[in-house]
Amino acid sequence: MNTEDLIKQLSNDAADVTVLRPPLVRASVWVLLSVTSVVIAVWVFGLRPDIKIKLSEWRFVSEQFLTILTAVMAAFGAFCAVVPGRHKALIYLPFVPLVLWVSVLGYGCFLDSAATGEQSAFLIDWMCFPAIVMVGALPAMAMVFMLRRGAPMYPRLAVALGGLAAAAAGNFGLRFFHMVDAGLLVLIWQFGSVVLLSIIAGCCGHRIHNWTSVTDELKTA
Amino acid sequence: MQCDDTLLRDRMAAAQAGDKEAYALLLADLLPVVRGMVYRKRSFLDVADREDLVQDILLSLHAVRRTYSPDRPFLPWFYAIASNRLADKGRQDARYKRILDIGSDFHETFPAIATNTPFEGYGDQQELADAISQLPPGQRQAIELLKLKEMTLKEASSASGLTIASLKISVHRGMKTLKRLLRQGSDQ
Repeated sequence: MNTEDLIKQLSNDAADVTVLRPPLVRASVWVLLSVTSVVIAVWVFGLRPDIKIKLSEWRFVSEQFLTILTAVMAAFGAFCAVVPGRHKALIYLPFVPLVLWVSVLGYGCFLDSAATGEQSAFLIDWMCFPAIVMVGALPAMAMVFMLRRGAPMYPRLAVALGGLAAAAAGNFGLRFFHMVDAGLLVLIWQFGSVVLLSIIAGCCGHRIHNWTSVTDELKTA
Repeated sequence: MQCDDTLLRDRMAAAQAGDKEAYALLLADLLPVVRGMVYRKRSFLDVADREDLVQDILLSLHAVRRTYSPDRPFLPWFYAIASNRLADKGRQDARYKRILDIGSDFHETFPAIATNTPFEGYGDQQELADAISQLPPGQRQAIELLKLKEMTLKEASSASGLTIASLKISVHRGMKTLKRLLRQGSDQ
């Protein structure tokens, strides 16, 4: 088909479209959905009995604050990544709370070893990874659905950020029912799971969202 | 050609609301810009491939037109899509070229036996023809059109009625099967 004919066909087929809301609004919607889903998950698993004590500890509160901040910023970054022409710095913004989060966790490890006078015992916690996946599953599905409505400008990065947002939301919920607070364990099994899930998501990014599938839908329509 | 961002923005906003005429005008305004960009940045491609790329960019723009927000400038949005598609297509072509190059005949080889073993079969035309005849029909057709008749992907696609993507996959699989068959033949 020649290009002039294609233009005629595209303009003839052009129905009205719902304009995508700005990334900040979309991120707010996603956060609302995710918080609801996380609250339900925490209610199902049951709040940890020492939650009142934990909420009075600066370390727990700051870790949780940075976890949810990472989730929110990552969601915002992911939604910016699917809008053409957005400043790229916005996409990399979530790395600021992520670095702060890992720094606070690292400082927690240091405090633990200073308190006991030796290295914290390294234990295997099999629950963290599947629990983060479970709690973060609904936020992840919502994220994929919302990302696919955008343009696949940087699919790997966008999906990795989406994965980071969902996994961080999952980790945020996990700490309300899973009584593991030792710095090293949180750093390796919880933060490690979040990073691993983000990397896995990033590796699948091109399969989840790409130009070929976006334009093929048009060709088959 | 100079593009008035405000005019394009208004046309896109109207197009998003379903105004077909405004959309046709917008795409007609953008066509020389897209062509200029593609022809300048992909001057090494032949005309048909460049025009394919132009069409891909217009299709992409059409597919994601909901991501344009009328309260933002139009041209940065449009150039971001066009540049992204150019880069994406370049990567895709490079990837497919690597796939198509697998097993292509070498004009010169080294004298050592080890370096020649995988390609010895190609010297025997009868053996090659037998191996091709053993391929599954889809793979055989792709090999015949793209490798033996040396058609371009587009020509092969219109000759066979298959999509370019499925031809690329078939020829890749065909080459792998062919290599296996020829290796088996030379081992016996």
